[in-house]
Amino acid sequence: MLLIHCPYCKEKLPELEFEYAGQAHIARPLNPAEQSDAEWRDYLFIRSNVRGDHAEQWRHTHGCGRYFNALRNTVSDKFIATYEIEQPRPTGSEEGEKSNEQLES
Amino acid sequence: MSNLRVDGKGRINRDKRIRFTFDGVSYEGFEGDTVASALLANGVHLMGRSFKYHRPRGPVTAGSEEPNALIGTSRGGAGRFEPNTRATVQEIYEGLTTVSQNKWPSLNFDVGAINDKLHKLFAAGFYYKTFMWPKSFWDKVYEPVIRASAGLGVSPSEPDADAYASRYLYAELLIVGAGPAGLAAALTAARNGTDVVLVDENRELGGSLLSEAPASIDGKPTETWLSECIEELSTLPNVRLMTRSVAIGYYHENMVGVAEKLTDHLAYPPAGAPRERMWRIRAKEVILAQGALERPLVFDGNDRPGVMMASAAQTYLNRYGVKVGTAAVVMTSHDSAWYAAFDLVDAGVTIAALVDVRSSVGDHLLSEAQARGITVKTGHTVLSVAGKKRVSGVQVGRVTGDGKVSDITSVSCDTVLMSGGWTPSLHLFSHTKGSLHWDEENEVFLPGEKTERCHIAGGGRGLWSQQAAFDDGVLAAEQALTSLGQTAKTISVDVDGDRAGSGIVMEELPSNDDKLLAGHL
Ligand SMILES: [Zn+2]
Repeated sequence: MLLIHCPYCKEKLPELEFEYAGQAHIARPLNPAEQSDAEWRDYLFIRSNVRGDHAEQWRHTHGCGRYFNALRNTVSDKFIATYEIEQPRPTGSEEGEKSNEQLES
Repeated sequence: MSNLRVDGKGRINRDKRIRFTFDGVSYEGFEGDTVASALLANGVHLMGRSFKYHRPRGPVTAGSEEPNALIGTSRGGAGRFEPNTRATVQEIYEGLTTVSQNKWPSLNFDVGAINDKLHKLFAAGFYYKTFMWPKSFWDKVYEPVIRASAGLGVSPSEPDADAYASRYLYAELLIVGAGPAGLAAALTAARNGTDVVLVDENRELGGSLLSEAPASIDGKPTETWLSECIEELSTLPNVRLMTRSVAIGYYHENMVGVAEKLTDHLAYPPAGAPRERMWRIRAKEVILAQGALERPLVFDGNDRPGVMMASAAQTYLNRYGVKVGTAAVVMTSHDSAWYAAFDLVDAGVTIAALVDVRSSVGDHLLSEAQARGITVKTGHTVLSVAGKKRVSGVQVGRVTGDGKVSDITSVSCDTVLMSGGWTPSLHLFSHTKGSLHWDEENEVFLPGEKTERCHIAGGGRGLWSQQAAFDDGVLAAEQALTSLGQTAKTISVDVDGDRAGSGIVMEELPSNDDKLLAGHL
């Protein structure tokens, strides 16, 4: 069972408290009516399937209840970083094999 | 039935006799016996049949690695029957009812064993290929036949009547396995004040020390040293000892699942007590000290009742005070089986022949064997086993230069003890996606890259002697404590009469057949 650091609670807690909430950094188009069918389809359904570092949203369902972002390596299943929802994807994420514990300190 | 108990041997309580049944027959054993050790003491090796060919099977090991002696168990009452319990693990208690599996109509006379005679017709995948068509036959015809003849045991038909508990636990250091390496690690960390949990699947802590006690440890008899060690650990407030507790899974971020058996050894469990407790233990550091498993050797008939691992015979003798037979042939490619043979001879078992496929072995082994009057056959191999429901003899021959066998003779015996060396027990480590690397020199897989904060100690790293395991346990604890940011005060444990040894690995023993029949399922 993974341990996940909630950037709002500032605590590392068991995976059981969290829920996965899909790929991160997908902005909703400001005016959906102006979207073509293809653009709207891409926004709704087209997702990446990364082998490596993946930016994704998690929700601290059984805690503060807030959504946040995380960078997780899909091969090692280790969290590289967790960050607040409006923050950009962290750079220098090629250290994909490092655990989030090492990055916290 | 013969009584094969050895006076003065074993860690059973001879003041407490226990009766249980196996296939309706009542047997007597002692407190501390497993079903397998008690049956073996009564001369019973035939404990089940294989699931496809219904070949007679007996226990080959004395522990949780047992593939053959699977039985159904019940303490009576609805919902308390359980199939596929290892007879080598299940402790006996007054009123325990056990049954053999995969037999019809009885264990001694089995109709399905005809499959064994027709094995050439039943190629691999027989069930899947033969029972495929027509589709409508599945429910009514094929499935019931397959279920009745091919299953492993019988599924319980009533809801489980027992209650099961679940707990979380946190520790600085979790140690899995309480043999020499695990105990040394626990002592080192415990004396340092570290918060330690030590789990072991057995009734007693001690691991291989219970099966093969060295002459002395720290100048004391092994038994004294062990009880003092356990006494010390159990009085320290920072140590939790858990017996009958199997580490069943190693999950992310050092979480280890441990199934603790609470009542399966009790004649009268306390009312309302859970039968098992599932622990989720999250530890900052983990030491895996799970030892090694002895490798079987491949020869025709190596699955006959009476054929077992040399270390198992040694465990039955030293831990349960049971001779697994009266006349044994030892077939080995490793020194450790020689020591097993010496223990057996000293307890009154005849070693009809000690066969070693290696052409030369250490002089100290030869002279110890000679002192005991053992017939040694180095550069020889066992070709085949005679006997159906119990071994009655073996064919032994000399290995020639071209890998064939000549000068074949028959040797009578009621037991064959085999050893093909040792394989590090790294199952839990593999749960963590830890890699294994092949060690050319010793011909074993050893732990490689780690993904979790864990350390492997002792037999798991291919260290076969008890002194080496003690030393490695101390080292692993020091590494774990350093990783925790603690400074470890080192300790030392000194073994006298250590039986270090080496061997070679044989994929298949030499034989004059082109190929042995692969796999008697
Ligand atoms: Zn939170």
